[in-house]
Order: sequence, then C-alpha cells, then structure tokens
Amino acid sequence: MSVDEKFFAWLDGELSEPEAAEMAAKVAADPELARLAGEHQALQSKLKGVFDPIAEAPVPKRLIDAVHRPLAQVIDFQVAKKAREPQRPWRPAAQWAAIAATLVVGFFAGTLTSRQNDSPVRIQDGAVYASASLNEALYSSLASASTPGSVRIGLTFRDHTCSDGRASTETKSSGLACRNGDRWQLRGLFPAPEGQGDAYRMAAGMDPNLATLVNSTIAGDPFDPTQEKAAQRQGWK
Amino acid sequence: MDQPLPFENGLVELLPRLRRFARALTHGMADADDLVQMAIERALRSKDQWQPGTRLDSWTYRIMRNLWIDTVRSRARKETFEAPPEEAERVGIDPGQTIEASADLQRVMNAMERLPGEQREVVALILIEGFGYKEVSEMLDLPIGTVSSRLVRGRTALLAMVGER
Repeated sequence: MSVDEKFFAWLDGELSEPEAAEMAAKVAADPELARLAGEHQALQSKLKGVFDPIAEAPVPKRLIDAVHRPLAQVIDFQVAKKAREPQRPWRPAAQWAAIAATLVVGFFAGTLTSRQNDSPVRIQDGAVYASASLNEALYSSLASASTPGSVRIGLTFRDHTCSDGRASTETKSSGLACRNGDRWQLRGLFPAPEGQGDAYRMAAGMDPNLATLVNSTIAGDPFDPTQEKAAQRQGWK
Repeated sequence: MDQPLPFENGLVELLPRLRRFARALTHGMADADDLVQMAIERALRSKDQWQPGTRLDSWTYRIMRNLWIDTVRSRARKETFEAPPEEAERVGIDPGQTIEASADLQRVMNAMERLPGEQREVVALILIEGFGYKEVSEMLDLPIGTVSSRLVRGRTALLAMVGER
C-alpha cells in the first residue's frame, strides 16, 4: 500500500491498529496532511450533499411496481418505456430486443428433434437439460451458418450467470439454453400455440416470452459470426 | 391475505439507495431510473441465485453495476453516430424536480460525471454508499489494491476539479 493509499485508508476508517494510531499521529504532526484530510472530508460531505437527497426523495411508482410485477409482464416495460421516451438515445434493453428478434426471424426453419423421444428436454436433479439430440444440435450448430438440421439457432450471446446463452427455435417450441458443464441447461422452453405452423412462426419472429427472457439475460450484444465460431471452437466455455 | 415476500420487500427497501448509486453511474435521473428498473428485473429473474443470509444490497448493486457496464459499451458504439443528450439531461437533475443543488454542489456533480467510470464507481460505492474496501473488492471482482488505488485517483481528481474556479 502506497503512502497515499495508507493515508486515505486511515481517512476512511480502513486501517487497523497500530497503523491507524501511527497515521493519526503523523497527520496531527503535519499541517499539510491535516489540511489534505480536511479537504477530502469536506469533499465527501459535498458528495453526500449532492447524492443523499436522491435517496431521500420519493421513489417513482413505476420502480415499486416493477418489484411486484409478475415476471411474465416484464415485457410490458419495453412498450411503456418506448412510449415514454421515443427519442431517447439510451435505450439498451429495447435495442437488444430488436437485435434478438431480427436475428431469430431469419433463422427459423426445421422440424422437431428426436423421433424416438418427442421431448427436447430431460429433467435431472431438479434442473431441465437439453435431451441428447437437442444437446448435440446446440453444441454443433451456429446461428451464423444456415446448415440443415432439426434445430435452428437463433442467436448466441454471453450473459452474467452462465458461459453462453443460445436461443433456438423449432416447429413445436423455442427456448433459451446456457452451457452448464458439458450440457446445455434450459433457461426457458416455450411451446408454440396449437395450430401454428412454420409460416406463422416465420412471420411472428421470436416468441414474445423468449424475447423477454433473452432481453433479461443478455449481456452486451449477440455474438457476431466470428465470435460465435470462436466460442464453438472453445467448446462453448 | 398474501404475505409480502422478504426478497421483494428487500428490493423495495433498497430502491432509494439503488437510485442514488445509479445516478452516480449515469448522466441523469431518467437514465438512472431506467438502470434501476433493469436491475430490479434482472434481480427478480435471478432470485434463485441469491443466497438468503447474504447481503441483498451488495448482490443487487453488483447486478446493476454489470448492467451499467453493458450499457456503456453499447452506448459507446451508438454515440459514434448519435447526437449527445441535451445539456439539461446531461447535467442530471430533472427540471421541476424537488431535488435542488447549489452551484457548489452542482460543481461536484459535474466533476463526478467527468471521472472515468472505473474511478466513479469506486468513489460512489465507498464515499457515497458507505461500503468498505473489501466489500467493494468482492462486489467488483477486483483486488483490494486496485480498489484502493482507483479510489485515490478518483478522489484526488475530484478535489482538483471541484477546486477549479
């Protein structure tokens, strides 16, 4: 710790004894250090004078409502926010949703996964994982490559809580999976409504529930083809 | 009658502090409240990852700070072709809002906004939010020495800027 850092650590009450007593004595004996300590204490008071009133002000109702809003309704926030500030340049969540929807629409195709087992998922130890066929598809397919197969990858991205997230769409369901060890764990799986065929799904784009889930978990932008191929080479880790 | 849930109650109690921290990170109350709302939604979706008995405030601050970093990255790309925000918004306090700052306090706010983000977040967490060095080190996944040195640089730069007349 440098001399400066030790001085400020003392000022912030972070020094333990006997260093704290030594620094206190040093400051008491040095008018320059004492003046510096006073200036920095005054600066902190000013900072609190600026920012504390924000914490003392009434909290907007929309934030309190957001805590109690059922998660299924979270997507409404995007609509409300867009209506509230249509020209604001800082709108990352809405931007991500737009990117996600655009990418997924272009990649929809295919038929359902396994003929032996109609379910694309397996449940183990309370967690939902991709079945063997879906696992293989998620591992080997790229959103940026239009290869034939039973599953189409809509987009690939990174989030804060798992290594990679992937949104996939197929005829009977669409979902979001993240890498957990050697398997893909399902974060969400949304069945297509009865009677909706490929043409409808192409027109509709990403399932709104999936869009909400992607929007809430994505960190940064979806991978571009180069990033996605690099992630694949590294085993999606 | 439904009983209120502790997790959600904890988030509601945190809202005033989250708004204060968000305002220190962003350039305006509207952006700050948008960031808080995104953090709430992320926290609710990640609720099962929070361990009862651990500090909900540190956990939620961390979520919000990570969202802010994502936003800054995204905005940095966008600002290459978009006009900067209006001055009234950049300065931060919305017109008509009850929070008023004197010229001196406004100078402090402006100085905070001129700090590099990595120093601003440490200054905000320690000098405004009152977290300890170790707590911030864990929250930001940084060595404690890095937290300490960023804090020294940030507060020294702030003092120099606030002292300008």
